[in-house]
Amino acid sequence: MTMITSEGSYRNLYVIIEHEEGKPIPVSLEMLGEARRLMDDFNKKYSSNEKVVAILLGNNIRKLCEELLLYGADAVIYAESPELQYSRNLIDTKIISQIAINKECVAKISPDYVEHFKKPRYMFFAADNIGRHLSSTVLAELESGLASDINKLVIEDLEIKHEHKTKGQAMTYAKTLEMYRPDFSGFLWTTILCLDNRNPAIEREYHPQACSIIPGVFQPLVRDSTRSGIIVEYIPKLEEQDLNVKILSRKIIKSAVDFDIHKAIISFGRGIKDSPEENIKLIEQLAKELDAEIGISLPISKKPYVVNETITSKYMTPDRVIGTSGRKVSPLLYIAVGISGAMQHIAGMKESEFVIAINPDENSPIKDDCDLFIKGRMEYVVPILIEELRKQKLVMEVRK
Amino acid sequence: MVSLNTAIVIKLEPDFSEGNVSYNSDGTLNRAETKSILGPHSAVASKAAFYSKVKYGARISVGTMGPPIADYALQQAQLICDADELHLYSDRIFAGADTLATAEVLKTGIGKMEGGKMDIVFSGHRASDGETGQTGPQTAWKLGYTFLGNVIDYDIDLEKRTVIAKRLITLQGFYDIIEEVEAPLPAFITVDPSYKPAFNTVSQRLAFVKYQKEANERAQSYKKYLKVFNAQQLGVDPKFVGLPGSPTIVYKVEKIPKAKASRKAEVVDASDRGQIAKVVTRIHEILGGIVIK
Repeated sequence: MTMITSEGSYRNLYVIIEHEEGKPIPVSLEMLGEARRLMDDFNKKYSSNEKVVAILLGNNIRKLCEELLLYGADAVIYAESPELQYSRNLIDTKIISQIAINKECVAKISPDYVEHFKKPRYMFFAADNIGRHLSSTVLAELESGLASDINKLVIEDLEIKHEHKTKGQAMTYAKTLEMYRPDFSGFLWTTILCLDNRNPAIEREYHPQACSIIPGVFQPLVRDSTRSGIIVEYIPKLEEQDLNVKILSRKIIKSAVDFDIHKAIISFGRGIKDSPEENIKLIEQLAKELDAEIGISLPISKKPYVVNETITSKYMTPDRVIGTSGRKVSPLLYIAVGISGAMQHIAGMKESEFVIAINPDENSPIKDDCDLFIKGRMEYVVPILIEELRKQKLVMEVRK
Repeated sequence: MVSLNTAIVIKLEPDFSEGNVSYNSDGTLNRAETKSILGPHSAVASKAAFYSKVKYGARISVGTMGPPIADYALQQAQLICDADELHLYSDRIFAGADTLATAEVLKTGIGKMEGGKMDIVFSGHRASDGETGQTGPQTAWKLGYTFLGNVIDYDIDLEKRTVIAKRLITLQGFYDIIEEVEAPLPAFITVDPSYKPAFNTVSQRLAFVKYQKEANERAQSYKKYLKVFNAQQLGVDPKFVGLPGSPTIVYKVEKIPKAKASRKAEVVDASDRGQIAKVVTRIHEILGGIVIK
């Protein structure tokens, strides 16, 4: 005998909003957009009235609360205090976890659901330096499951037959969030589900179903000034020791790598592998001729080659990665050298004005995302390019 | 000497270095053919703990959950940080654990470390295979320690029993921020990949050499420092570890469908010099003709 208890207890989709001093991080609005689309379909399909609820912590944030409604939230629950000016994991985790199980807030937002409300049905966080950790600690507190770095979401009724979850029986899990995450290679998609244990031996409820969402993947809604909704203030219950982490200073720094000030970017990937050190030097020379900044694909940031330490620490670093795990760029000219073109990389450079790929393999996926495909090994192509660039530069100077 | 107890939680991961990593023809990782080593982020965490040893004479315990061969990662970590104690949490019932179930094992293991109550626990920023970055903060939360993520530099105030740490915060569409925080011990720190310890004084450099030599000797006979725990010896509830203790499951793995071509590429044969010359002319046009410095 298996009790299915989840239907009565879990409602709504909570989106954890991030901002810098009242200015939303773009991913926050992107999450709201996707939440809106998912819950509109959900409510139609299940004839329900579940809400998109934005959770916002900060100081002087009333204006942002209003904005979040215009970007798709049905309701905003906010906690406001000078102590919440900047994100701190401990205090934020406590407040968000309190809000997640708070019935008084739900009473104001979804009075028809409050009686049986236990926890949110779904929860979204940003997959960035703040949200990645916050999602982990909040879900550890709420004792439920979390999938990270998601770029596709589907809600479905699924028939599951699982050794542990269902003791091998086929069971329907209604309204299950399918959370798709690309793996590090960029070629595989893993779908993660967060499921209650219905096996009587280990019976346990796992809600909310939560994930962190990759910035830049989903589209925000167009700001609609006719939208309205409910704004609820939550007064957090805090103890003195929750405030023990003190922020001493905050300094804005510009990365040494600044893609935005260059008209051209040259990126390299595993295609340099036959003689990495020499090939990186070739790319350096080409970049110098074009006044280009140098980017890399994600696998290169894992330092896969033994080359001299200066080159490793200069180029094989996370701040040069272009793609969903790094920067998004849109230069006039993008040259991809020895890059196969995994989806994650393409997402980071597809807005470039003109794309040239240098690759010996005409079947590599990058061919579908470039304007010019130079078929050949980089060891051969790059020196010719450099030579031609110098030759034509000379001609131009003579003409002057 | 003032006592400081530190722990590191590490992971055995596929070795992504060229020659050791093996990819299938479709671009996915061939796990069977790829060797395993101490993960690079775990190595950075080990360096951060070693800094505590050199600077404050900290005691270091290292723990990992994994199959029996994960003792290799412990040995490699010991070589970096001169660990006093190595813990391997290994049991078939731990297999298939998601981050919450892994954190449960690590939390319990840390509680069994010889130093008693920990002052600081270090972990890597994320695993290079799983890449969730969740296990560290979830272990921290279960331990009830203050969590500090993306730490690029830290020092301890031994008298006040606080840690002062610099954290790197990268947010979409904003400039990076370096935040300096002070937090009471015990703290759980995940170390940013850009972390680099600096040893500035002569006595630190001497201690560095001394402990590095000791680390070499210890790692050669690492088994002397190794304790292996199964689920029963750890005293974990089987319901909270492995697959039963994991809220999440992997439902399916599929190839990401090839996206529709976003551009129509003109193919240029590299061996045709005239074609390359045309490419360069094109580059000049695109960049406005006056690019070149």
